[in-house]
Amino acid sequence: MGTLDRARSDLQALALTAETEIGRVAGAFEDLAGHTGAMLDLAAELVGCVESDSMGAVLNEVQSLGAAARLFIQERLQATAGILETVTGEVALLRHLAHLTQGQKSVARESNSLSVLTSIEVARLGSVGSGFQYLAHELAEFSRSVTEDARVLATEADDRRQQVEEARRALGREIPRMHAEFARIEAGLGAALAVADSSFAELSRIPVQFRQCVQEIAGQIAGVVAAIQAQDITRQQIEHVQEGLTLISASFEDSAPEAAAAHACAGLNIQIYQLRAIKQTVAGWASQIQTCMGGIMRISSSELVAIGPVVLGQERELSSQLARIERLEQECLSYNESVQHALGGLSSLMELVREHLDRSKAVRDRLQLLMFNSIVEASHLGGDADAILAISQSIKRVAEEWSGITDQSAQAMQQMMEMVESTGRVMHAFSDASNDGLRTAQEQTRAGLEDLRGNVETAGRQALKMNDATARLQSRIAQAGDVGQLFDGCLSRVDAVLGSLEGLHRESGADLPRTRGRIDAAEVERIFSSSYTTEMEREVLRAALRGGPLPSLQQQLGGNDVELF
Amino acid sequence: MKQILTVDDSGSVRQMVSFTLRKAGHEVSEAVDGKDGLTKAGGAKFDLIVTDLNMPNMDGIQMIAAIRKLPGYSFTPILMLTTESQAEKKDAGRKAGATGWIVKPFNSDQLIAVIQKLIK
Repeated sequence: MGTLDRARSDLQALALTAETEIGRVAGAFEDLAGHTGAMLDLAAELVGCVESDSMGAVLNEVQSLGAAARLFIQERLQATAGILETVTGEVALLRHLAHLTQGQKSVARESNSLSVLTSIEVARLGSVGSGFQYLAHELAEFSRSVTEDARVLATEADDRRQQVEEARRALGREIPRMHAEFARIEAGLGAALAVADSSFAELSRIPVQFRQCVQEIAGQIAGVVAAIQAQDITRQQIEHVQEGLTLISASFEDSAPEAAAAHACAGLNIQIYQLRAIKQTVAGWASQIQTCMGGIMRISSSELVAIGPVVLGQERELSSQLARIERLEQECLSYNESVQHALGGLSSLMELVREHLDRSKAVRDRLQLLMFNSIVEASHLGGDADAILAISQSIKRVAEEWSGITDQSAQAMQQMMEMVESTGRVMHAFSDASNDGLRTAQEQTRAGLEDLRGNVETAGRQALKMNDATARLQSRIAQAGDVGQLFDGCLSRVDAVLGSLEGLHRESGADLPRTRGRIDAAEVERIFSSSYTTEMEREVLRAALRGGPLPSLQQQLGGNDVELF
Repeated sequence: MKQILTVDDSGSVRQMVSFTLRKAGHEVSEAVDGKDGLTKAGGAKFDLIVTDLNMPNMDGIQMIAAIRKLPGYSFTPILMLTTESQAEKKDAGRKAGATGWIVKPFNSDQLIAVIQKLIK
């Protein structure tokens, strides 16, 4: 009886101590949870900066800049490949032009000879041949004009050919180096964009990590909330054991000695089971509180605190990539002048050839007219004009030859137009106008990065506040102490009560073979079940009556749902 | 923001209920037992009450029955928050006028979600 009274009294003291200690834990937890909440709010603001529209926009801008810079470089790479081809083609064309001017000079010489012959024949024919004086004059004029045109064209073409050949030699040395340089720039750009992409990928992971962290902390807070409530369940369980011990005392007083001993023995066994279950429950929720508090503590070292510096680092990285792209652009622009110098001037030559061609066509028409006129005039004179007729036939041959040269000039002109077109493409690639797309992308990216910098500065300020909040949280955690140690006292007191009840059970069960047959399990359950109101206690009661192992008690980290009526 | 009364003889449970509901943006008052809860409900109008079952002086079921007789409390949601899970106890709670039953420990998210639904 004395042992039971002591056990009841110890349990009462234990319940009071546990209530006091859990109160301290609850206070510390509420404080921690408050600080954790403040940290989460700060982190949410930081993440808000990362997730802002300007952040998404700057990603698009950097990607556009990357595309524009790649196009810029690729156009130049393709253009460098076409420069030598264009220049070589131009040299060949200029040689062909030189050949054509030689033919023109030959025609001019022949025309001059025909003019002299015509003048001689006009003199021989006297007044009859005066009509051919005009022919002699025209032939002389034609010869002079063609000679002059051919000279001008030959001089221009020769100058141009020398210039182009010199440029070709220079480009032959320069282009492989230029090509290698552009390839290097393109590779550098690829690396820069890969770094930018990876920076954004890292930034885009931050909100996801934050949400995971928030979810984890919410789960841990829910775990602490549930575990602290579990103490109330334990308190009730202790009260129920106290009630059970009272019933055991009563059964000693009221029943027949043998039946009372049997019921008291069974009742003690039930209380021992209940106390073991209580011990298991206390250890479970103490461990749950410890785990969850530890989880909350870990947020001080989590990536949340590092968000600000990470965002700042990404912005710096992007800005340096932008500066690098600008440097690459400058390097490319330095090639523009040499390429413009090599390819410029072709269009002015083409203008000259065009004028020459127009004149050649006019000359061809005039030669044909002269030829027909002289043939008609000579046929009127009959046998006296045989020589003039022969001159007319020669004019016809010269006109045909001239017509051939004119056709070839027209073809050369066509080739030259194609060449001017391809040269124009190359020159455009190396012109300032070709940088427009890149410049626009650079300006947009620069503006986007400025917005980002603004956000990052805000994020930096939030990160500083967060560091302060972390320090405060850590200080509170240090004040709260080790939750595990806090509950060690509770567990040792449960152990003490359990030990005394187990001793009493062993003593009263010394003559168990004699009393075993008299235990009425249904009656024992009826007596003690009214004390146990929770499902857990009823399971423990059934296990004690069966003599089976203690049921495994699952801690519910998230707690129970609401049942609405 | 709604006015909520939590009634429990366990200080730590009251603290956890208050913590959870304040975090959800509500104003929470506390009572230490059924008698205290009835007095506080009579002195102010609460939008919702969360109460324990087993308490000294006046238990949760008696308190609910008494509160239902107070003016303005006929349709106020009252949730039982208890370790008890027996059907006969739940039935007694429903008959006294409880709106719902939660076996301790409660799930914070579920509790907030149900409260939002009940006091909308």
